[in-house]
Amino acid sequence: MRDGQIILQDVGVGYRIYREKVSTLKEAVANRFRHLRTAEKFWALRHVSLQIPPGDAIALVGHNGSGKSTLLKTIAGVLEPSEGAAVTQGRISPMIELGAGFDPELSGRDNVYLNGALLGFSHKQMAAKFQRIVDFSELGDFIDLPVKNYSSGMYARLGFAIAQDVEPDILIVDEVLAVGDERFQEKCKRRIQDFRAAGITFVFVSHSLSVARELCPRAAVLHHGRLAFDGPTDAAWERYRELERGPAPGPVFQA
Amino acid sequence: MIEAAQETRPDAVAPQAQPLPQGTRRPPRIVEVWRFRQLIALLVVRELKVRYKRSVLGLLWTMLNPLLLMVVYAVVFTTILPAAQPNFAVFLLAGLLPWLYFSTALMQGLMSVLVNQELVRKIRLPHAVFPLSVVGSNLVNFTLSLVPLFAMMAALRQPFTPALLFLPAAAVILTLFCAGVTLLFATATVFFRDVRHLTEVLLQMLLYLSPVLYDLKQLGAHQSWWFQLFRLELRVNPLSYLIPLVRDPVYYGRLPSVPTVAVALLWASGGLLVGFAVFTRLEPRHIHHL
Repeated sequence: MRDGQIILQDVGVGYRIYREKVSTLKEAVANRFRHLRTAEKFWALRHVSLQIPPGDAIALVGHNGSGKSTLLKTIAGVLEPSEGAAVTQGRISPMIELGAGFDPELSGRDNVYLNGALLGFSHKQMAAKFQRIVDFSELGDFIDLPVKNYSSGMYARLGFAIAQDVEPDILIVDEVLAVGDERFQEKCKRRIQDFRAAGITFVFVSHSLSVARELCPRAAVLHHGRLAFDGPTDAAWERYRELERGPAPGPVFQA
Repeated sequence: MIEAAQETRPDAVAPQAQPLPQGTRRPPRIVEVWRFRQLIALLVVRELKVRYKRSVLGLLWTMLNPLLLMVVYAVVFTTILPAAQPNFAVFLLAGLLPWLYFSTALMQGLMSVLVNQELVRKIRLPHAVFPLSVVGSNLVNFTLSLVPLFAMMAALRQPFTPALLFLPAAAVILTLFCAGVTLLFATATVFFRDVRHLTEVLLQMLLYLSPVLYDLKQLGAHQSWWFQLFRLELRVNPLSYLIPLVRDPVYYGRLPSVPTVAVALLWASGGLLVGFAVFTRLEPRHIHHL
């Protein structure tokens, strides 16, 4: 395997759905732990096989609850598949969401180091990146303000500025370009294209055809946890539209 | 282009396991935690920074807290119950400091995976960093609270002996024990939220069932069965061996006995091994229970 390669083989992620939500010991004892046996499995993802070679860029599309985020989390290693296997090679930027792990009480500066440590970087390594990160985020003196005082755009800018500087082999992002103003979005897109040019594998969730087409030649469509399509982005979009027009989507939870 | 024909596959048939190429293998959990040691250090700093932000006295609270508690107990024991020992304040403080370290680390630590669930859901990292960082910040507190202890000793003319040099070793053994217990309770709390409330009650009982406010030597020799039971409990209770690690050097001015240190070490290392093993075993299932 080469760095940046992702292989998903028949991946399934099942959540237990407890008919009665048991979260206290008393209930569990009272029911003699019956809930552990009668739980039904809800498959957020099942029988998904994907081969993503190094340097490939793939967009994940699908309706809400189709399993996109679950798939991202599985690739990132946040979730372990309950069946099948997810194998990756190389450093993954495990940032499912920009600015995940920011502590609102701490300053932007402290958060850069905290986020770096969350991604496995030492203080020294982050110190070397620090100025670049601040420059990219265009935050200037605001870097010493507590993050809770940031606007959502500033928050996302700092988040992306960190994520773009962690030298991953695989970059995984959920809805990266939904925030920030247009100019900053353009900047992010350019940076991602640099990544692509440098041969970094790129996986992201998209709700926009134009962004997906710009960044990824390939797209996978998820439909109720199954892989419904894998191929060129335009065709994938067709398939997605078609599925959305189809019969009312699956598991309907009635009140 | 692959059109998925998977919809029709019967679920009953187990997918044929093909040999997979080896990707970046997940390293052993202990290695993973070690790699994230800088994160643990940062989380400790964050914990202390955030805890004392906007409080005027800041870190001073760490020192005031056990002192105030000690005053309450000292008043109770010296005025209401006349069984006090000489320099009772030092005696109390020497027992209370390790007790507070243990109980505070446990109560904060058992919630730590739940409190940090935003991170656990979004970033791949060993979950053990959270309980371990809570233990770390409480170790800092414990160390700082030695300052008022020494001040009290000086004020009451309690002799400073070379036995005090044992305190760093005592802190290490205590920390290992706290880490083990906290890991165990942190993962249990993910699955059953009432572990927290249960622990709160148990800790209150444990305070009186452990030689914190009294000493083993003070116990008389009643013959009643319940007293025998109490003695037995004290012999099993790990705190009977951990508290003297601090109290013997501080109050009695001597090193803790070899058997005491040996049993304490056994409890500490055993506790950490069991705690870490159980924690990492259950860790992959945490995310489904947050």
